[in-house]
Amino acid sequence: MKSSLAIHIRVIYALILREARVRHGRSRLGYTWAIMEPFLLIAFLTLIFSTYRQTSREDFVIFFATGVLSFQLFIRISQYVAGSFLANKSLLNYPRVKQIDTIIARFILDYLTHLLVMVLAFTFLVNVLRAQPPHNIGGCLLWTFVIASFALGAGLCLAEFRKLMPIIDTIYRIILGPAFFVSGIFYSLNDVPSQFKSLLVWNPLIHCVEGFRSAYFAGYRAPDISMEYVLVWTLVLLFIGMMAEGTIKRAVE
Amino acid sequence: MIVLENVSKQFKLRGGGHKTILSNVSIKLPDKNLAILGPNGAGKSTTLRMISGVENVDSGRVIHQLDMSWPIGFRGSFHKMLTGVENVRFVARMYGRNTEYVVEYVKEFAELGSFFYEPIRTYSSGMMARLGFGTSMAIDFDCYLVDELMSVGDASFRQKSKKVFKQKLKKSRLIMVSHSMKDLKTFCDSGILLTNGTMTYFENIDDAISEYEKMVKKPKKQGNKHKQSK
Repeated sequence: MKSSLAIHIRVIYALILREARVRHGRSRLGYTWAIMEPFLLIAFLTLIFSTYRQTSREDFVIFFATGVLSFQLFIRISQYVAGSFLANKSLLNYPRVKQIDTIIARFILDYLTHLLVMVLAFTFLVNVLRAQPPHNIGGCLLWTFVIASFALGAGLCLAEFRKLMPIIDTIYRIILGPAFFVSGIFYSLNDVPSQFKSLLVWNPLIHCVEGFRSAYFAGYRAPDISMEYVLVWTLVLLFIGMMAEGTIKRAVE
Repeated sequence: MIVLENVSKQFKLRGGGHKTILSNVSIKLPDKNLAILGPNGAGKSTTLRMISGVENVDSGRVIHQLDMSWPIGFRGSFHKMLTGVENVRFVARMYGRNTEYVVEYVKEFAELGSFFYEPIRTYSSGMMARLGFGTSMAIDFDCYLVDELMSVGDASFRQKSKKVFKQKLKKSRLIMVSHSMKDLKTFCDSGILLTNGTMTYFENIDDAISEYEKMVKKPKKQGNKHKQSK
């Protein structure tokens, strides 16, 4: 029998190709749509929000784009990873396919997809709309990885606990609605009055969004933002998810 | 050698109560072609799935060093939205085989015609089984797990399947669930009998079958009994 790591890698590779093929399977555009969709969403939201703004349009667009893109990175990965087991149920009939492989495959695929989306979006904004280019590309990449890992932890926990309580899915979606408004997407944490600020800093997503911005914009003031805080959330969620993976039996019917 | 160590497995029944499949079973299964026998609902398919590792045991361990196939049978392991050929490619990649070779082999073997390029959801159960069987034949396994398969397709397809399968068994071995005693006798050397949560090993397949028939108190059953897969 071959080494189990080699088998995992092979299975994950096969799963990634399969997921890329299945994703938006009903749409003729297929994978292209997966890239276009967030793009259009950002364009649409930017248009709406920027009309109510006093500041120059270019400045707001890039400010808003950094917010939406880093926020969406979390949302999309966590939701996509959460669906791993359900969508791959039939594939678990192959002895080689382990649940964790389906999680990792979806994580890699969606992280890469979203990175591509971000690169395309920023390239467009910088070159066409003459927006400010990223100050610290390495820092931006690091933050995307931290955000994606955080999303992986959340997605893993959701995937596990929805086996016991399918309603958890709905609850998560309900939470995500207000999350858009309390995660600093269209404002900076620094501009928030201090009585709200002390509440908002508990939200790990505002750290993700503002953290990404602090790497993107030179001299961006984000004194309350901590990557460690997000990493603690990530590790706790990954730990809970892995424990659940071991304890919750496959609730297949 | 496949070793079961204190393996227990139960199913919760919807109407309350439990169905015990295995209750603290410890057994060593030698490297032979094995038949799994037992009355309806004894958990033959579940046992096969536990041996392959796709079904968790409640407690205990199943230990083996074999490269096992997935349980080949009516229950499809294929993704419904993908076409036959895409599913085959997935399996080939997963097992690190040459994709083109596997696709050609299955195309030839499964005789699906243009359905090979259609999504699986349009397949009949027979077509699905043929695709599954063809795919598993294209990939060499140490051990094939077969669940009620030999009754797939028309007479000529069955003939062909049996021939190819016998060829495979020169190098590999199999564990088989079937309602056809004739098939079990053709392919298997030994048998295990499942009854009320216990597992009994019979060195000789004929002994296993006669014990089984004594148990169900019916004369030899043959023909295609459609088993309701759980």
